[in-house]
Amino acid sequence: MSNPFKCPDHRLSRRNLLTIGAIGGLTLTDFFRMKSVDAEQKHYDSKEGTAQSVIFIFLPGGMSHQESFDPKPYSPLEYRGPFQTIGTRLPGVRFGELFKKTAGVADQLTIVRSMTHGEAAHERGVHNMMTGYRPSPALKFPSMGSVVSHEFGPRNNLPPYVLVPNEPNVYAGSGYLSSSFSGFSLGSDPADKDFRVRDLQLFEGVSGRRFAKRRRMLDIVNDHFRQREQSDSLDAVDTFYNRAYSLISSQQAREAFDIEKEDPKLRDKYGRTAPGARMLLARRLVEAGVRFVTLTYGGWDHHDKIQNGMKNLVPAFDQAYAALIQDLKQRGLLDQTLVCVTSEFGRSPKINATAGRDHWPKVFSNLLAGGGIKPGQVYGSSDATASEPADNPLTVQDWATTIYSCLGINADKELMAPGARPIEIVDGGKVRKDLLV
Amino acid sequence: MNMIVPKLFGQSLEGRLLIWTLLLTLAAVAPTRCVAAMSDNPVSLKVFPTSIELSGKRDFQNIVGQLKLASGVTQDVSGEMEIAVHDRDIVRIDGRRLIPLKTGETKLRVRHGDFDVNVPVTVEKPDDAPPVSFQLDVMPVFSRTGCNSGSCHGAARGKDGFRLSLFGYDAEGDYYRLTREMPGRRIDVATPDDCMLTNKSTGRVAHSGGTVFAADSVYYRTLQQWLIEGASFDEGEVPVITSVALMPPAAVLDGDQAIQQLCVTANYSDGTSRDVTDLAFFSTTNPTVASVSKHGLVSGGQRGEAFVMARFGTHTVGSEFVTLPAGLEFVPQPMPENNYIDARINQKLQKLRIAPSELCSDAAFIRRVSLDICGTVPTAQEVEQFVADDSNGKRARLIDRLLEQDAFVSIWVMKWSQLLQIRSFKNIVSPKSALLYHAWLKRKISANTPVDQIIVELLGATGSTFANPPANFYEMERDLLKLSENVAQSFMGMRIQCAQCHNHPFDRWTMEDYYSFAAFFAKVGRKRGSDPRESIVIGHTGRETKHPLTGKVMQPKFLGGVVADIKGKDRRVVLAEWLTASDNPYFSRNLANIVWAHFFGRGIVNEIDDVRISNPPVNEPLLNDLARNFSESGYDFKKLVRDICNSRTYQLSTTANESNASDLTNFSHAYLRRLSAEILLDVIAQVTNTQNKFSGLPIGARAIEIADGNTSTYFLQTFGRSKRESVCSCEVKMEPNLSQALHLINGDTIERKIRKGNLIGKWQAEELGDREILDRLYMRVLGRRALEAEIEAILATFEKTDDANAKKSMLEDVFWALLNSSELLFNH
Repeated sequence: MSNPFKCPDHRLSRRNLLTIGAIGGLTLTDFFRMKSVDAEQKHYDSKEGTAQSVIFIFLPGGMSHQESFDPKPYSPLEYRGPFQTIGTRLPGVRFGELFKKTAGVADQLTIVRSMTHGEAAHERGVHNMMTGYRPSPALKFPSMGSVVSHEFGPRNNLPPYVLVPNEPNVYAGSGYLSSSFSGFSLGSDPADKDFRVRDLQLFEGVSGRRFAKRRRMLDIVNDHFRQREQSDSLDAVDTFYNRAYSLISSQQAREAFDIEKEDPKLRDKYGRTAPGARMLLARRLVEAGVRFVTLTYGGWDHHDKIQNGMKNLVPAFDQAYAALIQDLKQRGLLDQTLVCVTSEFGRSPKINATAGRDHWPKVFSNLLAGGGIKPGQVYGSSDATASEPADNPLTVQDWATTIYSCLGINADKELMAPGARPIEIVDGGKVRKDLLV
Repeated sequence: MNMIVPKLFGQSLEGRLLIWTLLLTLAAVAPTRCVAAMSDNPVSLKVFPTSIELSGKRDFQNIVGQLKLASGVTQDVSGEMEIAVHDRDIVRIDGRRLIPLKTGETKLRVRHGDFDVNVPVTVEKPDDAPPVSFQLDVMPVFSRTGCNSGSCHGAARGKDGFRLSLFGYDAEGDYYRLTREMPGRRIDVATPDDCMLTNKSTGRVAHSGGTVFAADSVYYRTLQQWLIEGASFDEGEVPVITSVALMPPAAVLDGDQAIQQLCVTANYSDGTSRDVTDLAFFSTTNPTVASVSKHGLVSGGQRGEAFVMARFGTHTVGSEFVTLPAGLEFVPQPMPENNYIDARINQKLQKLRIAPSELCSDAAFIRRVSLDICGTVPTAQEVEQFVADDSNGKRARLIDRLLEQDAFVSIWVMKWSQLLQIRSFKNIVSPKSALLYHAWLKRKISANTPVDQIIVELLGATGSTFANPPANFYEMERDLLKLSENVAQSFMGMRIQCAQCHNHPFDRWTMEDYYSFAAFFAKVGRKRGSDPRESIVIGHTGRETKHPLTGKVMQPKFLGGVVADIKGKDRRVVLAEWLTASDNPYFSRNLANIVWAHFFGRGIVNEIDDVRISNPPVNEPLLNDLARNFSESGYDFKKLVRDICNSRTYQLSTTANESNASDLTNFSHAYLRRLSAEILLDVIAQVTNTQNKFSGLPIGARAIEIADGNTSTYFLQTFGRSKRESVCSCEVKMEPNLSQALHLINGDTIERKIRKGNLIGKWQAEELGDREILDRLYMRVLGRRALEAEIEAILATFEKTDDANAKKSMLEDVFWALLNSSELLFNH
């Protein structure tokens, strides 16, 4: 067909210049950003901050703050619950008696005792703590891990956001961002005897040499199509093939997932338990370059018999967490790794009729350590019965904004949601300087 | 209507800029224009508004003009027109602004070049100047200047201690918070120029939002006047906005120097109208193509199209803008048209000065249409026969043949199952119910049951979820509000969720609309069946829906329609009948759009379930035609698919030409579309000659046949199969990720299937040579012959060997590469 367009002033159009591939060095993030309409957006460049990585330890169900990090030994029995308290490395600060080892690393932590929000249903509380947002009927928000993945992309051939062992809930997903920014699930639990990350190893019978030949053949097969077709979605597929190749072919990257490479003594120190293996693997991953690791442990919804429930769950967590903090410290990694422990909410002030406690988002406790967080302090407090925040109530927005700021992300930045709707990473949060070094 | 008058257009900075830019543009552009563009003669002049009614002392109206050239390009001549008033006692003209003087009727004569246009003018009550109205004057200032937007005081918790309702959905609440929440703090009628409202907004005292407007602006004067007059709330009924008009309705800009001034008028329930250009909030869907200033001046940018919108009150209206490279010469080529679809597509492409691609090859067509209609790839034999067939109408015959296959039904049962969220879940929907529901749907779609009948059966369903499976519709979502949101999203393509808590910011839906729509489902109730897995749905129980702010009981009202007559009827059936009526503006368009998106990878409205004024269809006439043909055919689904597949537009090549390479929205060429998780898995099984096994289904069943949304595999989950947990089209994920790549490269799906199907082994046993086997593999997987160069390149990687097993593993490596190829992964 003859060309119906003729103008003496013909130049390469700006649209063409913008086409992916015309200019080199365009990242996947750029690609998805360009797909969205370029409306007015608050923009800040994200630059790596004090925290190079985050280990996000989520304790689903709502761990009781009274039995853990905010005991009230002087309140009446029905409030203070079944446990005694113990002293910690911080003078005058006491934990529930089960957290013996954590008490020994308390001088490395910021113990938040004034976390607060208003969502008493599990999924709504989880949404808060995973995304930094209150749930909205109109929009799905991305998890903090996905935002980090969107802002920084991969490092050292490793996926930026890894879920151990699997996506714990839908709010750990990519929300309104492209699902390309969702976390990489191990698909297998590091605590299992035959733990192997799914599809990371070459299939049995495929040697490295044979794999190299396969790649060459795939290039030959793709060549014809690649020459004929131009499409952003084709480029995006290639991007992930390249990431997969570099992950498979980098021994260092692959070994980050191999818990067998750890000294058995260290494994014993973490404990050969679910939290032990998961936290140890998380340490391996951030050490190798993963930016955000989310792991979960236990079910803490202790409506009944909280004493037994805590006795079953805490010791393994306590051992693993203290080992993680010490291990990071010894390796000099704690200063650049932010370790965050939280539940979706705490538990009600009074022991209920079934010897448990119910949901309580009004005030609860969580832990922050490393990556720019001030070591050895208690932040905020609850009242005498642990029912209301007393000092420095810490909102979800401020908590999330502070974590983002450690990572080098300004949470006021707007990302593009469907319908060309710019949305702040966190809406109206402030950095709590007192939490930082 | 009597209102505070915004500042003169012509005297504003923007207005002056407008004229200067225009003059500069002409001076700069004229010498470099193409010859053809110079001879591009004007063909018509349009003047907006086409008639003017002024009422009250403060009323006024600006006039814009648009010249259309023979090429279709338009020019803004608002500043260059001669405007003469017939009877100068009735109105006077100040620049392009008309000001009332005396009651009566007259007309304007507007001239530009050889054209002149008459505009009738009516003036009423020219001396009437009532007080400033809180709702009609003050609140629009908050909306225009962004005070009540989501990032400022409109946020759910307000900003810095002061809250306004988002986009002004709650007038009484806003009045209360401004005047009474903290008496004496925010306003002071004694010192209108020295109170928090006026000090903060003008930046005279520290304000996180900065200076919002100047003290000499019309916005300030409105607030000031309202305070002087006592800061009262409106008494009695206030006229409501019945419609808003944005003019001109369309423009074709010639390059990045071209501009067009907009004009916005609002009509009120008392019959008056008003120029609200200074009070409307302007936005654009594509600022790189057409940007718009706060004052409604549009400037051209890069080539493309944009929808420029003005919001006033709860109304959003749009104007279509196309920007072309300056001086582009375009000779439209006559394009063959197979049916009405092509006619509409070509009209649009001509407007954009884009030529469609060529027809795709026969081999490409048979693969594309087989994947789209049946979710399978054609066999080598089918491809060869089809390509060799040189008779007329072979593509149409192929389409007819494919439409008769069971797989066509399975694909659409799957799509509907996603829309209806057919899945079992703990303690509410048993697997048995999910299976019965799915089987019912399958029966309906196999019989090509008209869609309107299916909808009436679904929405009106009562009784046992076992005996009457469509009653499960009310089990998949039991929350009344979510249920009504789902109905709007699935059957009208609209997301009305925003209006649950505040008026929809990007659409016209108010909370009133939302809760009166939800009222259609207020009477749905449930009780337990005799079987513990069964539930009985009842249509006449439960409490009425109430408006959360006013507490008023809501009468069922159609979205965008009237209050329903539900006397003696099941209100859900009334809703179903309204939805499927031939004149319903949403239903048939939505379904046609869903079907279109299946065949093109994107909707005419995209995303398919995001219909709103601020997200207009790229080709409205086409969507209307598809919808009309669909409803006039008695909702004959197969006919709709047949029309789409037979269109030339569907059969275009993916190869772009110079003019359409950058088009990704107007269907000027075929777009690459990744295969969905189910179809990809089915195709891998098909070409490896293996069978899949899914729980609850017989061996060999296809992934598209899975009944229960809870049945899944690692492969399906990783490739983004819908979990059917919501009705959102975003449940199906097509974006790539690391796990997908790793699974295709190292995973067991491909490896096991290659080994299990053992095709290479069988072909070796038939003593086929390497070249023949390669050729078979290419035909089988990609539906095309291997190119000689490809065969050579592959054979060059083979090591010389006589060992059959070594040879086999090399050939299996080729099979692996083909199954990993993008050419397989995408439909093209």
